[in-house]
Amino acid sequence: MTRELVGRGGVWLCVLAAIALVFPLVSNAFAIDIGIRVLLFAFIGVAWNLMGGYAKQLSLGHAAFFGLGAYTSTILLIRFEISPWVGMLAGGVVAMLASLPIGALCFRLRGPYFAIATIATAQVLMLLFLKFRDFAWGAEGTTIPNLGDAPLMMQFDGKFPYYYIALALLTIGLLITCAIERSWIGYYLVAVGEDEDAAEAVGVDALRMKRYIYLISAFLTALAGTFYVQYIYFIDPNVAFSFNVSVEAALVSIVGGIGTLWGPVLGTVLLEPTSALLQSWLGGGRGGVQLTVYSLILIAVILYRPAGLIGVLTDITARVVKAGQARTKEAPLDG
Amino acid sequence: MGEALVVRNLSRRFGGLRAVQELSFSVNEGETVALIGPNGAGKTTSFNLITGYYRPDTGSVCAFGHELVGLRPHAICALGLARTFQVARPFGKMTVLANVMTGALLRDRKLDVARAKAGEAIDFVGLSAKQHAPARDLTTIDQRRLELARALATQPRLLLLDEVMAGLNPAEIDQAVGLVGKLARRGLTIVIVEHVMRAILTVANHIVVLDHGQKIAEGNPKEIVANADVIRAYLGTGYAHAETAGDSRC
Amino acid sequence: MATTIAQAVVNGLLIGGIYALVSIGVSLIFGVVKIVNFAQGEFVMIGMYISFVLATSFGIDPLFSLVVSMPALFVIGVLLQHFLIRRVLALGDMPQIFLTFAVSLLLLNLALLFFTANYRTVQTPYSDTAIQIGGIYVALAKLIAFVVAMLLSALLWFFLHATDLGKAMRAAAQNRDVAMLMGINPDRVFCVAVGVALALAGAAGSLLMAFYPAYPMVGQVFVLMAFVAVVLGTLGNISGALIASLMMGVAESLGIQFVGADSGLIVVFVMLLLTLAVRPSGLFGGWTR
Repeated sequence: MTRELVGRGGVWLCVLAAIALVFPLVSNAFAIDIGIRVLLFAFIGVAWNLMGGYAKQLSLGHAAFFGLGAYTSTILLIRFEISPWVGMLAGGVVAMLASLPIGALCFRLRGPYFAIATIATAQVLMLLFLKFRDFAWGAEGTTIPNLGDAPLMMQFDGKFPYYYIALALLTIGLLITCAIERSWIGYYLVAVGEDEDAAEAVGVDALRMKRYIYLISAFLTALAGTFYVQYIYFIDPNVAFSFNVSVEAALVSIVGGIGTLWGPVLGTVLLEPTSALLQSWLGGGRGGVQLTVYSLILIAVILYRPAGLIGVLTDITARVVKAGQARTKEAPLDG
Repeated sequence: MGEALVVRNLSRRFGGLRAVQELSFSVNEGETVALIGPNGAGKTTSFNLITGYYRPDTGSVCAFGHELVGLRPHAICALGLARTFQVARPFGKMTVLANVMTGALLRDRKLDVARAKAGEAIDFVGLSAKQHAPARDLTTIDQRRLELARALATQPRLLLLDEVMAGLNPAEIDQAVGLVGKLARRGLTIVIVEHVMRAILTVANHIVVLDHGQKIAEGNPKEIVANADVIRAYLGTGYAHAETAGDSRC
Repeated sequence: MATTIAQAVVNGLLIGGIYALVSIGVSLIFGVVKIVNFAQGEFVMIGMYISFVLATSFGIDPLFSLVVSMPALFVIGVLLQHFLIRRVLALGDMPQIFLTFAVSLLLLNLALLFFTANYRTVQTPYSDTAIQIGGIYVALAKLIAFVVAMLLSALLWFFLHATDLGKAMRAAAQNRDVAMLMGINPDRVFCVAVGVALALAGAAGSLLMAFYPAYPMVGQVFVLMAFVAVVLGTLGNISGALIASLMMGVAESLGIQFVGADSGLIVVFVMLLLTLAVRPSGLFGGWTR
């Protein structure tokens, strides 16, 4: 990108941050709820994007880590009265530990078969937690005891605090992605994603890179799991290990722009409000509408703009730049 | 002058096909050795065995005193062996510069150092003008140059080149030969798989000839072109009489 | 004890035949078009719903509805390949994975919209009949399904090995470029491959309808089985997929008998794990490194 565009980029970033910060102050509860979902799923998408976008390890089982995070913090909270703030980090660690054996097995497969193996992993975890009645409440799940306004226990009256926590999570995710993008890790990850064998030929330990990024991705996704449970005050295996979460994590990244910093954010900004509006129009009675719409959008994106919304924006910017150059070239002739 | 690469009794079969059989040869430091043979002789397979992409059924590969068999390709690269692929495999999404930097990062994780080293390699192959172009937009030949630059950026002691000259016109072949010669004069040990005889006869100190996975001849260029077995392997039995016909240039 | 095991094995083999139809389809598409069809299970589901509608509206036995479901799904397969899959063949992993994945999602949720999540069953005169062979009870519907499944597999084998079009498909599977040089039109071959694979899925659906309920998620169960069978039987190896499917049917059945009623998925996963850990290239696998 030319320097002018980067300069302008900085301005846009400030505008965006301002909007994000001010948004809850000027919106009603419904809008704030959508805002929270946008921020949360953008964060999950950013976490997924590290694996699936940069390293091209297309996981469809990220719900495994979401659920592990959610259950870890909930178990610690209800069984041991440990604050979810701590539980959140603990959940992240659990997810990281889980990513090691999961990765060890799944990385033996490439492409679509890797995806299938990750789906199977999330399914198995769901099944296991359906069976764990003793310390994990089995199929019925449990509610989080309502402690009223208890910031230390990650519970708040009103939606503002949840919004800003979600915003903080997303910001952390974006910062991590940015740092990775600009470091040797970023180069190595993209190399692995583009051509694993060729990457190995220039000294990239592909297996290690995949393991590293899986750790980070799992950790972040688990944080989202804890947050979600604290927000909706409920957990059960179907919510925690929901295939929808896995799908949406990938979907927002692809629609927004896979392998880019802002892709997942753009994707979520498009998809989440759409789905929320759809649900309110159709009264939420007809299951299947949301995913039908999502799948149609996904098909359209894949067929017409695989680079996603970011791709569309890049095209437009490129054309604007070219037009600008053409104009400056003509100026001398105009005299 | 030590031995850079010692291949001993290397064998690999794929089902019923014996791709490489009991291959043994060695390469001295600073030498340029050409691996030639008809299509299907096992040349690229040998490269894949040496660089860790396939595991040999038997045999050993020793480079600069290190046993390579059992190591993964990235470890072998770290030991100083770099290779190019027969069909160039650039990281399409990245720019030329980023591609080569990925190679340079092996020796130094700092981006500015890697960028400088990458710049040198890009200059060497003549891609400076296109260094910010996405790799997938390059022509095939430029992609080959990129492949070479990326391999060089890993600062190898031994370079394995797989048919870098395939499909080049005579002027391009001369350019490529020039590059290989320059690398040799810098002291790099080179093993080159090639079909373009003119190039081989110019750059190679030593030639190893494969056919059906086996080494059928070995020697300096003059010896090899006159060798009856080599002629027979390439051209068939009818041409073996060339030896008795005197000096022959294939 | 021996009879219990034998009974479980027989039951497993019978359902394994259905798994085989599904996994052969996946293997065929993967071998020829080099793409993994995530939606294969949904086409089984479509086959089931076709048979369901024909049975409830016209009283047609699911077995006979094969005559409708197979051609219908063949056509859908051709359309799928020609209008969708063809467009992503040159694009790489992500579009290929997510295209069929999106199709799967779409079909599943459309079924949810049109048919709701309710289980739909069909009662045939033989739905509850079982024949006894040496102390083992064999459900007639399942036996018929197995026999038809094996017949179709044999027909496929014959098609691939004895007809020109079949040989062209195998050629394209082995080396697309050379096949093109030989005058084989890859698009035509791909359309037939996908068509045949989907027709097999449709057949599986119709055969299932006599003893299994139809519901939107039904495809997911079978497709997971199919994928593991394809991995276990070595990617692209059709007879491998068949054998692996039968094995998985037996394993699942033994699991249900001796471990627990809902151990099906656990069995699948364990088999996948074992394959990955011990022999990632599958039972018949060649050389990956």
